[in-house]
Amino acid sequence: MAQSAEMILRIADVTKSFEGVHALTDVTFEVRAGHIKALIGPNGAGKTTLLNVINGLLPPDIGHIYFRGQELIGMSTDRIALLGLSRTFQLIRLFTVNNATVLDNVMLGAHKLLKPTICGALFFRRKTAREERVVREQAMDALAFVGLEWAAAMLPGALSFGNQRLLELARSLMSQPELLLLDEPASGLNDAEVEGFMQLLSAIRARGITILLVEHNMKLVMNVSDEIVVLDFGRWLAEGAPAAICADPKVIEAYLGACMENGGS
Amino acid sequence: MRRLGRYWWIILLLFIALYPPTLGGMSAYKSGVLIFVGIYIILAVSLDLLMGFAGQISVGHAAFFAIGAYVSGILTAKYGASPVLALIAGMALSGAVAWGVGRPVLALKEYYLAMATLALNEIIVTLIIGLQWLTGGASGLRDVPAFSVPGFSFDNHVHYYYLVWAMVLLVVGSSVAVARSPFGRTLIAIHSDETAAKTFGIDCARYKVRAYVLSACYASLAGSLFAHYMGFLAPDDFGVMTSINILVMLYLGGIGTIYGPALGAVFLKLLPEFTYQFQDYELLMNGIILIVVLVFMPRGLFGILTGIKERVFARSAR
Repeated sequence: MAQSAEMILRIADVTKSFEGVHALTDVTFEVRAGHIKALIGPNGAGKTTLLNVINGLLPPDIGHIYFRGQELIGMSTDRIALLGLSRTFQLIRLFTVNNATVLDNVMLGAHKLLKPTICGALFFRRKTAREERVVREQAMDALAFVGLEWAAAMLPGALSFGNQRLLELARSLMSQPELLLLDEPASGLNDAEVEGFMQLLSAIRARGITILLVEHNMKLVMNVSDEIVVLDFGRWLAEGAPAAICADPKVIEAYLGACMENGGS
Repeated sequence: MRRLGRYWWIILLLFIALYPPTLGGMSAYKSGVLIFVGIYIILAVSLDLLMGFAGQISVGHAAFFAIGAYVSGILTAKYGASPVLALIAGMALSGAVAWGVGRPVLALKEYYLAMATLALNEIIVTLIIGLQWLTGGASGLRDVPAFSVPGFSFDNHVHYYYLVWAMVLLVVGSSVAVARSPFGRTLIAIHSDETAAKTFGIDCARYKVRAYVLSACYASLAGSLFAHYMGFLAPDDFGVMTSINILVMLYLGGIGTIYGPALGAVFLKLLPEFTYQFQDYELLMNGIILIVVLVFMPRGLFGILTGIKERVFARSAR
């Protein structure tokens, strides 16, 4: 098993059904550290369900998830996050209550670095302020990385849809993840924004962060991913390099064709 | 104008400090009114930490007000304990109750949470009535002594006024500090979206309980101050109506702003002084105020004030 030492995430025989509907059936695959792995498939193939299982929002009926060899099933979402696993959402979920700004959102991404307490707020103010300054600088860096530093003081609701997606990404990066789960990050983006997003993903990969990407935009998937896994009706259908997946007749029948039109590989 | 905006709190402090010898004329009645205002500011601000920041509804906040008042009252009146120790004991018991019921209760959401907190309030009131040998039951607890520290007794209304307002400043100041700190930001994340908050490693249950405990301790402090001022405690003062009154203050002033609920408390407690002819209709007025605020001014009095401030600054900057 020399190979599996490099595998940051291992999904083993995961099955999940909702009131008799099989969302996932015996799904097994691995994600290699430092790679961008795309998870594709038709609507309802169970992609988001799988992401929810991985980060502990949904318990599977059976199966195991190993992150760096550690079993995640049975762990709470917040503990899984502390291990270095972060995600974005298909439907954007930013913090908007009490006039929380864009910068506040990004700084919240650093929760696990700050672990704030009431005592810290009342009695160890100097230490808290010092940590807060460091985190604020990091947050500005993260915003600059996605190109949103100009929006730091704005309310998230004032941003365009595409920029809200970038904000979610910046917030996730603040948690210094080892593995990033991205759920349809390019949906609703225009072509120019998708272009920029591809460069961002490559830059994130260059930082050594592994990405598991659920995405429908085949141009993006074909361009950035190292490997692709295809789900169909909750079952593993195919897995391999982008070119091989594009040429796989099973995949073409179930899902693609789109591959060619979008001028993939 | 801009300078006024920055130094308003110094003006406020001067007003508080100079009120008794000037406008108040050292009168027991006038300082009494402002003592009540102060006690309710503490209650409203404490609830704002829980509701406005952590986003957890409580329709039973008077439960902790009651615990503080009765622990202080019983320990000092019946057992001759030092008021300071009794006050601390009240906060400790309130905090412990909040911690104990916090996990299961705060796992509930919305209406269920509202009902559970309401039930807690009812349980506390029922206990006060039932434990007659300890609390005096429905006929009340008598002879709570004046607040004192070793070597000084706050038996004069004006002295007590200063004590209460010192506590108000302490509570408001520390609440603002908590609200603006990373801890407050974490509460806002939980309030906004618990699922998303969890994916950033936030242990929502634990943070909600912490906010609840802090909120309960402050409410208990208000209760202790109330007990020593009144000298007599009856369960009527701690019922669900009191909890709802605090809620009205929160929404009237502007929830989630700390200063807003304080403003709401001032407004709602001073209002009867000007409309005492209508005191039979106080409940009705509270209801009308709440509906008007919810429908027409969702950001409350504080929202209106900041709106005016922004407009004035925009004009003077031009």
